[in-house]
Amino acid sequence: MPDLGLDVLLKGNNFIRLLEGLFVAVKISLVSVALSIPAGVLLGIIMTGKNIAVRFFTKFYLEFIRIMPQLVLLFLVFFGSTRSLGWNLEGETAAVIVFVLWGTAEMGDLVRSALSSIPKHQYESSQALGLEKRQTYFYIILPQTLRRLLPLSINLVTRMVKTTSLVLMIGVVEVLKAGQQMIEANRMNSPNAAFGIYLVIFILYFLVCWPVSMAARHLEKKWG
Amino acid sequence: MEKIKRILIPLLALALSGCLAGCKNTKDTYRTLEEIKKDGTINIGVFSDKNPFGYVDENGNYRGYDVYFAERLAEDLGVKVNYVSTEAANRTEYLQTGKVDVILANFTVTDERKEEVDFALPYMNVALGVVSKNDRIVRCLDELGTDDAVIVISGTTAETYLIKNYPDIPLQKFDSYATAKEAFENGTAVAWANDNTEVIAFAMQNKGYTVGITELGSSDTIAPAVTRGNTTLLEWINKEIKKLGKEQFFHKNYDETLADTYGEEFKETLVVEGGKTD
Amino acid sequence: MDFAYMKLVLPLYEKAAVLTLKTGLEGIVFATLAGLVCAVVLYEKVPVLRQLVMGYIEISRNTPLLVQLFFIYYGLPKAGIVFSAETCGVAGIAFLGGSYMAEAFRSGLENVAAVQRESAYSLGMGRLQTMRYVTGPQAAAASIPAFLANVIFLLKETSVFSAVSLMDLMFTAKDLIGLYYKTTESLFLLVIFYLLILLPVSLIGAAAERRLQYAGSGT
Repeated sequence: MPDLGLDVLLKGNNFIRLLEGLFVAVKISLVSVALSIPAGVLLGIIMTGKNIAVRFFTKFYLEFIRIMPQLVLLFLVFFGSTRSLGWNLEGETAAVIVFVLWGTAEMGDLVRSALSSIPKHQYESSQALGLEKRQTYFYIILPQTLRRLLPLSINLVTRMVKTTSLVLMIGVVEVLKAGQQMIEANRMNSPNAAFGIYLVIFILYFLVCWPVSMAARHLEKKWG
Repeated sequence: MEKIKRILIPLLALALSGCLAGCKNTKDTYRTLEEIKKDGTINIGVFSDKNPFGYVDENGNYRGYDVYFAERLAEDLGVKVNYVSTEAANRTEYLQTGKVDVILANFTVTDERKEEVDFALPYMNVALGVVSKNDRIVRCLDELGTDDAVIVISGTTAETYLIKNYPDIPLQKFDSYATAKEAFENGTAVAWANDNTEVIAFAMQNKGYTVGITELGSSDTIAPAVTRGNTTLLEWINKEIKKLGKEQFFHKNYDETLADTYGEEFKETLVVEGGKTD
Repeated sequence: MDFAYMKLVLPLYEKAAVLTLKTGLEGIVFATLAGLVCAVVLYEKVPVLRQLVMGYIEISRNTPLLVQLFFIYYGLPKAGIVFSAETCGVAGIAFLGGSYMAEAFRSGLENVAAVQRESAYSLGMGRLQTMRYVTGPQAAAASIPAFLANVIFLLKETSVFSAVSLMDLMFTAKDLIGLYYKTTESLFLLVIFYLLILLPVSLIGAAAERRLQYAGSGT
């Protein structure tokens, strides 16, 4: 068995550093999902409105966010925001902003289609019962849509965790960068570390994402 | 509903205009010496994958020639230091957008870069060098064919030099030192062009490699850089470098961080003391 | 905005767009083939192969492309397996896309009413014939929107190719920023080029979805 460089992980607190890097990635995605869900619900409600200008704007926003690769959005926010708006953002903050913009768009679209799939008689019946528009939303429509949305938003968590690997490119020290630093510090005595470390990172990502996907699928079957 | 719309639409418009607006605004992106002192932390951009100049050891601490200097700067300024891991192509951008106060990432002084950032006094000499595997040592760039790829790191002086002077050599570009070195070891290209300091270090640390070209292009220097216009910080760093010269600080820095790799051989050619080049 | 600069670097962006499209589409072709095979294996419940396919889908869907690429390009050579950067890019897209395509086609197949397949069998058609003449064509039509969504997704994913030194659009922009410090112009061109590539696919996708809604309204 040739040396695959796994020993590097046992040196110092290397493995803990890798886990800390992974935690940075998970933290970014959890914060983003937590912010995206309420924002997405709002966006979805707005998108079902009839105002043409609003519909145009939301559609434009949705399409732009969906078409641009997340890495491009990260660069636009990370470098572009300081240039044009004078904001100085740290890598992690920029990542959260991009992920929230993206998550809101995805959630918004899901909410919109969930809302419009609720049969019309639900609206009409609640009106007939004397409920106001706001009450109809809160007590009748939203509870029904949220149930359908839960598995989909859990799915969004997996997608976000996977996408956090990109924040390496805007200078956030996450799991891949931590891995690279270890490979670099041990180039002399452990020349094959790249194999072991990248393999371990691969497995770590799988171990985080897989259970979440399974949970999403389970809920989808149960509530879908 | 109406309220929500009223809030959300301007927000969206703002986000969009942010994406589309193209005005350049570098004013006020830097922090003056006073502001840094008051804050108590200085942000310094260093490499985290350029052993032995800027790298991270197995306990997660930044180490290397640049870092040794950064530690001293922060100490004399009486502030803590926050290291920001940078890549070559991002260095100018990080200063211009105020993401760091100082770049200490082996930043070579060039005329083009002087247009974008302000350099302090130099602390190291540098030229370009080319390293290759022992089974095919590249001694002259003219001997390379159009199939022989050379590795460069995006945003380095080596990249600029090769694009300008050897436009026919296919370049294999990487965005970090870590990936470039890994690919070079894996044999994806015939040579790697970079700062001669770095390629010499690589050949000394790794068996089977030779620096076939040790001096390419002009002799340059490496200096700390600050955001353009940040004169209070710039002047303080310059004074500090002169002061450190009296105690032979960079010689000591060499002994601590570079001697393990280079031995004594390169001490005088590499170190610039007190900001004075001769 | 410095238009002279933009004109100067335009050919570099064009070259990068070609690379993005070429590697992206090659990857998508392989992903589609892999997806087709996997979908049929899952649908027909082929023993053993089915478990393998399910394992592959889980691994591919639950790991980031960037990490996959790092492992293939930098890790595998240590074990003696060397690929060129371009092969890695194509292989990465194919590996990632295969599972997404499989899902698209499988749900297309499951969309076809069971009675169709049963009727075909009772007419004496074999499994292959049924797939070829009855379920296949209907499933193909049903999976077009999901297929196009995957195409967009995979083309977008090529933006991480800088990690393996492929000069795609993203890396070209990043490299130019590092060379000439013209951030705004470089990012502007980057956005324009991605729009040029992806907007048409997105529009076709939307149109296809509308068409199919009409087509499917009868069942």
